[in-house]
Amino acid sequence: MQNILSVEKIEKYYGNKGNITKAIDNISFKVNQGEFLGIMGPSGSGKTTLLNCISTIDNITTGNIIINTQDITALKKKALEEFRRDELGFIFQDFNLLDTLTAYENIALALTIQRREVREIDKLIKDVARKLEITEMLGKFPFQMSGGQKQRVACARAIVTEPSLILADEPTGALDSKSSRLLLDSFEKLNKEFHSTILMVTHDSFTASYANRILFIKDGRIFTELIRGNETRKEFFSKIIEVVTLLGGDVGNVL
Amino acid sequence: MFFKIAINNVKRSFKDYTIYFLTLTLAVCIFYSFNSINSQNSILELNKNANFISTLNKLIAGTSVFVSFILGGLIIYANKILIKKRKKELGLYMTLGMPKSKISKILIFETLLIGALSLVAGILLGIIVSQGLSLLVANILSVDLNKYKFIISLNAVGKSVIYFGLIYILVMIFNQFTISKFKLIDMLNAAKKNEEVKLKNSFVSLIIFATSVTLLVTAYARILKTGLSAGNAELSVTVVMGVMGTLLFFFSLSNFFIHIVQKNKRIYLKDINIFVLRQINNKINTNFLSMTVICLMMFITIALLFAAFDLKRTIDKNLEESTPFDASAFLVVNNDNEDPKVNDIEEYLNKINFTFGNHEKKSFYSEFKLNLTIEELLSEYLNNQERIDLQNNYLDGAVSAVKISDYNSIIQLKGQEPLDLQENEVLIVSNYALVNDALPEYMENENIVHIEDKAYKIKNDYPIEENVKSTGGNKFFYFIIPDNFDGSLQTEFTSFNVMYDNKSFEKSEEKFSTLFNNLSKDKYRDISPALVIGSTREQIEDKENGFAATIVFIGLFLGLIFIISSAAVMALQQLSDASDSLERYKSLKKIGVTEKLINKAILRQSLIYFLVPLSLAVIHSIVGISAVNEIFNFHYQSIIVSSLLLFIIYGAYFYATYIGVKNIVKNSN
Repeated sequence: MQNILSVEKIEKYYGNKGNITKAIDNISFKVNQGEFLGIMGPSGSGKTTLLNCISTIDNITTGNIIINTQDITALKKKALEEFRRDELGFIFQDFNLLDTLTAYENIALALTIQRREVREIDKLIKDVARKLEITEMLGKFPFQMSGGQKQRVACARAIVTEPSLILADEPTGALDSKSSRLLLDSFEKLNKEFHSTILMVTHDSFTASYANRILFIKDGRIFTELIRGNETRKEFFSKIIEVVTLLGGDVGNVL
Repeated sequence: MFFKIAINNVKRSFKDYTIYFLTLTLAVCIFYSFNSINSQNSILELNKNANFISTLNKLIAGTSVFVSFILGGLIIYANKILIKKRKKELGLYMTLGMPKSKISKILIFETLLIGALSLVAGILLGIIVSQGLSLLVANILSVDLNKYKFIISLNAVGKSVIYFGLIYILVMIFNQFTISKFKLIDMLNAAKKNEEVKLKNSFVSLIIFATSVTLLVTAYARILKTGLSAGNAELSVTVVMGVMGTLLFFFSLSNFFIHIVQKNKRIYLKDINIFVLRQINNKINTNFLSMTVICLMMFITIALLFAAFDLKRTIDKNLEESTPFDASAFLVVNNDNEDPKVNDIEEYLNKINFTFGNHEKKSFYSEFKLNLTIEELLSEYLNNQERIDLQNNYLDGAVSAVKISDYNSIIQLKGQEPLDLQENEVLIVSNYALVNDALPEYMENENIVHIEDKAYKIKNDYPIEENVKSTGGNKFFYFIIPDNFDGSLQTEFTSFNVMYDNKSFEKSEEKFSTLFNNLSKDKYRDISPALVIGSTREQIEDKENGFAATIVFIGLFLGLIFIISSAAVMALQQLSDASDSLERYKSLKKIGVTEKLINKAILRQSLIYFLVPLSLAVIHSIVGISAVNEIFNFHYQSIIVSSLLLFIIYGAYFYATYIGVKNIVKNSN
């Protein structure tokens, strides 16, 4: 299976000489095409920093990040902007929909900045809306939608450009449980039926249980890895809970 | 401690304050410059007439009060925007437990600080600008510049301090009022609040837009048809239609516009045009009221500037044609009087012991009334509007006439060759063609005029445009008739014209102006009952120049204040909108919009926002100016000068806004 993302020995330091904080401390992992990877960890563990580095919003101190055979640590500012535009799709906790634009326009924006053909744009939007079942919402403004609907629109915006990698940062963070489930069902559908590669950061165990594989991070290092394999989601969920409990306690006592 | 917070706030938010501060400084500067005008030497030199200076003073004082109302409104509005922008910061003070009274104390300090700074800077700038202004005005009005002196008007300084002081106090009171109404939760969430789009239904917006355009077109048609001479009621209806049309136009424009653009997918789905459109839509829709006010203000500004710059030229041109002699006087003939000597101006002058000097060339002549009116003469060529114009210019009565021998002596005074006129010929002397097509059309098409059933040939094909005497900027119309004209003639005036000799010019001027002043004070009524009216060319010029100067001053003053007020409001709205939209710009960046595209979007947005009210104002002005075209004869120079002034100031504000918004967005991450 093709390798979409490979993170090689990356480190990210904050601060200056004498007072260095290692937000990421020698992390390496790989994501294959069609994988749904979850990253979990307590607050301050460095998971958002990791995501920011992968999404090219932040730059790393050492190491390499290779997305789709391209080393993003070697890209210049302008090339980075283009790379982000063409290869990555983002889903944020607070949706980041433009409140002045309708759902249709929000999704269209992702395409117009890629300078896609006018005729193509309309077709792509209608297709993606059908996939995510938001067709009747296209004419509405964000303030006329529920949180779950907004996140699904944001989701449509992220995947409409067919990016190599979809990055989701706490996508269910601002949603109630019913909306969360609906959204995660869409994620699962995207992953299974359309083979999208998804990298999702969350600290919610239920959300994480939808992933195929979960990386646990603590204090900037990879703590452990869980692979779902053929387990049901429920079994996987209880496994996750176990690890989370472990993470919450003092590791020294357990090991 | 609070003072320290205030100072730091002013320092820190200097970027937000820059436009506000510059506008205040500019306003103070203009205010000072115009109020100091009466102590400027060049102006004093222009007119020694105490009457003119006191009229000018009164007018400037009145205008200053009006202007201070406008500036007061502007400053309060600007302040409100700035406070809105800082809601979160003020909310933070409140969550930290600072009582509202202390917060308002901070705001009072800030207002005081900015106010004091802008006053000092404005007055200093004003002292420099007023020197330039007085040179400019002296130049426009062709005054001797030798007596120019550097002057600081303490009176104007005092006035600026008092007026602006009052405005700042008003602002402080207003701030208290705003703060007392704030709720903490709203302040902290201020950034997340969206502007409400007032008009959503596309069909309704289409109908409103159509209505507004209809109203405007009707108003245009009405004003173009009647000009300003229509009745007051009619005119008010037109004005109300224009204002309503403008209001509805801005109310519905953005929605209408967005529906049009959405139809054109090529523009709509290009770059981030979707975002730009929605941003503008939001903004115009919320600010349609201020847009309307700004548009109307700019319309008045353009009209004022045009009028101000043009009046002088128009007056100069008129003067040249209407004052060909150094002095003229006429005696109003009383036809009931039997004694012909009473009605003769020459006899009159003898009676009051006035004698002409050797070097004062003179010609005596009589003006008659024919048994024919201009309306009868031109009846086939006059439209209704022109008929009204005739009445307004007192030209609707009987035609005046001068005999050819008299006319020849008049033009010989100016050194022109005498003309020949056959027994059956007449000449037409008039500047009426300047304002009206009827006369030239008539003269082109008709060769014969019938006066009391006798036919005369009109000798000239185009009216002679030089007056037979020196008067103010009036319109004149004369027939030059043969000496042996045998129709009925009623003597209207007996008159004389004088040309001085260059060597004794000032002495003669002195002599005649004294005579005419005495005449206007009825000094010789006991010697002879006749009414004699006269004026020298200089007297006429002084009067007209004074009038022109007043209009130029007031026009410039109001125009400048209007431009900076409108531009400042637009700029502040854009800047505060940029802060409100920061989240949106951040979202754009996150989904991968490049900085270049964002800057392009900002540029388009600001440009459209600034151009929309200006464009409608320009259309209004073009129509308005065509409507009053008969009063002013517009010249290219005045159009260029006033547009340049407008575009420089407005353009500077636009550029500052663009840079400001760009910086706000750039510094957000």
